[in-house]
Amino acid sequence: MNLEKENKFAKQINETFHSAVVKVQRERRIIVELRSDLIPPFLSFAKEYLSFIHMAHYSCVDWLEENKFELVFMLWSYEEDVMLIVKTKIDREKPEFVTIKHLWPQAETYEREIHEMYGVDFKGNDRLGEFILEDWDDLPPMRRDFDTVKYAGEHYFTRPGREDAQDVRETIARHSGEEIPDFAKKYSIRRDEE
Amino acid sequence: MAVDLKGILSPFSALKQGVKPPHTVRFPREKKETAERYRGLHFNDLEECIGCGSCATICQNEAIDMIKIEGFETKDGDSGLRPRVDNGRCCWCALCVDVCPTGSLSLTKDYIYVTDDPNAFLWTPGVDNPDGKEKISFTSEEGKPLLDYQRIPMRELEGMERVKSFAEVVLGYDEEEARKEAARCVGCGICTEVCPVHMHIPEYIFAIGRGEDEAAIKIIYDNNPLGETCGKVCTRRCETVCAISKRGEPVAIRWLKRYATERANNADLIEEIVNPEILPPNGHSVGIIGAGPSGLTAAYYLSLRGFDVTIYEAKDKPGGMIMYGIPKYRLPLESIEKQVGYMQKMGVKIKYNTAVGKDITFNEIKEKHEAVLIGIGFEKPYELGINGEDAEGSIQAINFLRMVNSERPVDIGDKVVVVGGGNVAIDAARVSRRLGAEVTILYRRRVEDMPADWEEIEGAEDEGVVIHPQAIPLEILTDENNHVKAIKYANAEMIPDPNGGRPRPKIIEGDEHIIEVTAVIAAIGQGADYSFIPEDIMEKIETKRGRIVVNEKQQTSVPWIFASGDIANFRADAISAIADGYRAVKGIEELLLKKEK
Amino acid sequence: MREKETTLYLGPQHPGVTGNMMVKLKVAGDTVVKAETHVGYLHRAFEKLMEVRSWMQCFPIVCRICVPEPDPNEENLARAVEEIEGREVPERAKYIRVMVLELARMASILLWMGGQSGSAGLYTMPQWSVGDRDYILDLFEELTGGRVYHMYIWPGGVRRDLPEGFEDRVLKTLDYLESRLPDYDHLMFENAIFQKRAKGVGVIPKEKALEWGVVGPPLRGCGIKHDVRIDEPYEVYDKLDFIVPTYEGGDVWARAMVRRQEFEQSISIIRQVIEKMPKGDYYNKVPNPFNWIVPPGEAYVKTESVRGEFGYYVVSDGSLKPRRIHVRGAAYVHGVSLLEKILVGANIADVSFIMNSLGVCPPEIER
Repeated sequence: MNLEKENKFAKQINETFHSAVVKVQRERRIIVELRSDLIPPFLSFAKEYLSFIHMAHYSCVDWLEENKFELVFMLWSYEEDVMLIVKTKIDREKPEFVTIKHLWPQAETYEREIHEMYGVDFKGNDRLGEFILEDWDDLPPMRRDFDTVKYAGEHYFTRPGREDAQDVRETIARHSGEEIPDFAKKYSIRRDEE
Repeated sequence: MAVDLKGILSPFSALKQGVKPPHTVRFPREKKETAERYRGLHFNDLEECIGCGSCATICQNEAIDMIKIEGFETKDGDSGLRPRVDNGRCCWCALCVDVCPTGSLSLTKDYIYVTDDPNAFLWTPGVDNPDGKEKISFTSEEGKPLLDYQRIPMRELEGMERVKSFAEVVLGYDEEEARKEAARCVGCGICTEVCPVHMHIPEYIFAIGRGEDEAAIKIIYDNNPLGETCGKVCTRRCETVCAISKRGEPVAIRWLKRYATERANNADLIEEIVNPEILPPNGHSVGIIGAGPSGLTAAYYLSLRGFDVTIYEAKDKPGGMIMYGIPKYRLPLESIEKQVGYMQKMGVKIKYNTAVGKDITFNEIKEKHEAVLIGIGFEKPYELGINGEDAEGSIQAINFLRMVNSERPVDIGDKVVVVGGGNVAIDAARVSRRLGAEVTILYRRRVEDMPADWEEIEGAEDEGVVIHPQAIPLEILTDENNHVKAIKYANAEMIPDPNGGRPRPKIIEGDEHIIEVTAVIAAIGQGADYSFIPEDIMEKIETKRGRIVVNEKQQTSVPWIFASGDIANFRADAISAIADGYRAVKGIEELLLKKEK
Repeated sequence: MREKETTLYLGPQHPGVTGNMMVKLKVAGDTVVKAETHVGYLHRAFEKLMEVRSWMQCFPIVCRICVPEPDPNEENLARAVEEIEGREVPERAKYIRVMVLELARMASILLWMGGQSGSAGLYTMPQWSVGDRDYILDLFEELTGGRVYHMYIWPGGVRRDLPEGFEDRVLKTLDYLESRLPDYDHLMFENAIFQKRAKGVGVIPKEKALEWGVVGPPLRGCGIKHDVRIDEPYEVYDKLDFIVPTYEGGDVWARAMVRRQEFEQSISIIRQVIEKMPKGDYYNKVPNPFNWIVPPGEAYVKTESVRGEFGYYVVSDGSLKPRRIHVRGAAYVHGVSLLEKILVGANIADVSFIMNSLGVCPPEIER
């Protein structure tokens, strides 16, 4: 596999942003991890100097256990046909970031969604607010601590008629007299772990 | 601006379509047959289905419920439940079909379901469309299985290499193999029904699959303190009903248990991992006769529950039949010592070399303890009942195995005949091979009638044991020193039983043969010896065909006497003995603690 | 004198045939002064649902993100998972996948023809193109068991092999559809009314197209030649011979001409696929779905859907369930930020006409 152009980009990035952790993931994929305050200058550097003109995607991942949100930008260079995945972690307690809509206007839409689904506040974006959801007053729903099953149970009724459903494992255990201790129960595939 | 004449005229070419036949469905209506693979309404072959519920688990819409339907009961190998589909939720992705281990569930060509009842959204495939079998379209047969039907092979010593020593034949899974094998399980738990102990099989297998071996060990020890023994020598009824076995090789439940329990390679480590809750002493005392699997199991769980337990064992080592009856190439000595060592750390007391009736009387035990559990096993072998049986060189298999296992010298020469077809016979034959003898097994019936495990039979054949089926011994011939010289047997033919039982062998007159031998090993079964129990007590204990009759908590007709193991069940294997021991704990607990209240 | 501005809510019931979304317009007379996209009517939280489902259970969900062309979703999810796992896909499966993707593209273009001409008032065309689309759906039914939601491409390959004689029936359908093209041309593309409606309407400025994130036919309609199938060939597109049509102008007409030519390219691609398809395996089995753990990792994969770049960002934390699956539909950009810009100055009658030409598909926006 020829990774010449990917390595060339990696070198250019490292020379300008010393703190960037650059990894060539595979052919056409470079992953850059960076401090959040360096993201805006880095993105405009990538767009203006490294030819990553196309913002293909802008995502957010909830790393609940680390108490961080990860913002992920996918940039594509039409000149070299390489994708730059730029990642940064921000505080989950008071998630704040700055808008990048001056670089790519469509970022505004992504920011609206991330704001609504994760609760990240984007400074400079004046269209944050209701986007996909309507009259939502619960936790931002894409956060991993938002429990969809619980929410559905509280807000919707279950259609009657299915109360006679039985758990296979429990039916067998009841019939044979097996007593499954609690510490073993959580290893049952049939039960949801969450 | 120029007029686009072409652009104005060319759309009028559409008018020519007016004279063409329509390409929509013809009138009068023709019924259009759906494609061969169409994903329509479900059909379930209710007889094939075992109610494992894999369909319900995979369904991401939660559209499938497992429900009780008429005519199907929970029984061995069948949960008695059948799937019902909520057609209001179903998206006909057919993952339930592709994941069905038995292949009973499929989709049909039917897609129209009309009813005037808005609540009739529940659909029990096979019940609501009994004719669905005729219309099956999307089946799991056609595609590749979603489940893994191939077992991860177990590595073993090669046949002729094995006979050179008593090294363990089965090498065991390594970590990667175990994870992969564990990942084949669908977690239904059908296996737990047939396991005499009802071990928490899906749970410990799932733990192994997730790399949590310690959790697996803890789960195994919850109701089986001899998990490692079972991991090596269990008769594993569980695997015969495994959902995967319907169309593939069952999950290697036994080998996975072996893998997990072997990870704790000393008694201290077991204690650290299992870390069971031990109740404070409750002042009650229980005596157990025999340190076999049932006695040990009962002793272990009684100790954890605060009872003072003493086991009286006639021999100098624990384990009973698993110590003396199972050859060391299947179950090494160190393994048993480790498991029993752990139990002793948990408070179990064992008095070795203490034969009841000889070193201590039954009445003394009665004095010392409030309840007594008898788990003495079948130690008295049946005789062949032919001439020459008492000659030098004619041995009983269990005596032979006991002597070999306790490393006492046995002289069997170089040409051995084993009589019998059970696991004990095969063990005796394979042990004889390891002592350097050529071995022939004489068995009354056909090979397929042999009660021994097929793996054991195959193993014996791999090691060069000759199996001579339909052969009935007639006489043991001796030399001038009353030493075995040869055995005379007759070939038999199989006569069908008019009552529908299994065919019986009948000697073919005149078809008699003689094999020169240096030893004859008899392995045609054993019985119990109850002579240590005083007559006045024995009279009150109900027995049936040599076995003590017990209730579901192993209690005999004398309330303070419990019985377990071979003397109390017809299964004659370690796991049933362990199950007896486990049940006896409940019986004894109930008897003694209730008395208190 | 400045005309009085009126607020007009277009939708959410079906503005044209682009699905349930609403555009809030400020109009002065017949002219749009300001446009705001409102979505949420088709939000089903698929991404959230997938986070609480096992990897295999995600597979029947994703197709529902797009009704006219569900297959890029299935293909993207499968390929992303395969990339994280390092799983090889049999060559035959790759060819079958390309065939399915191109058939879906054709079906989708036929549906677009209906929508595009229908929103211009040419009501014969939808009858024809949607009727002809059903012949492709017949093929899907035979191959996958479903007409609209195929649930066919899954991690490791495809779900079933081609049925006996399927290739012949595909070729026959292609011949038929090819023979219909002159009829479509006469009725739609050469039609003076359609041309007059389409030319110079909904113009995307060429110099802004890349920066605005325009992809697919709208981008190629600006004369910019970018196509994921060429830029980052996936499956077996690098072994196939096809051209990427472009057209100058950036208007509805240019986009229509691009799609019209892509239809022919798809026919050619499928013919090549059938010719070159090797025999052999079609599925490299994934582990038992109840215990299928995908190793930790992430992948962004993309497909050229009929509306442009379709991407999946998949993150695994090494558990039985995905950590995050984020879908990038072309309409996410086309239907919100781009649409809001190019609607300004348009005639009210052209709004749904322009939306159709951009391929705005609301389920891609809100998922």
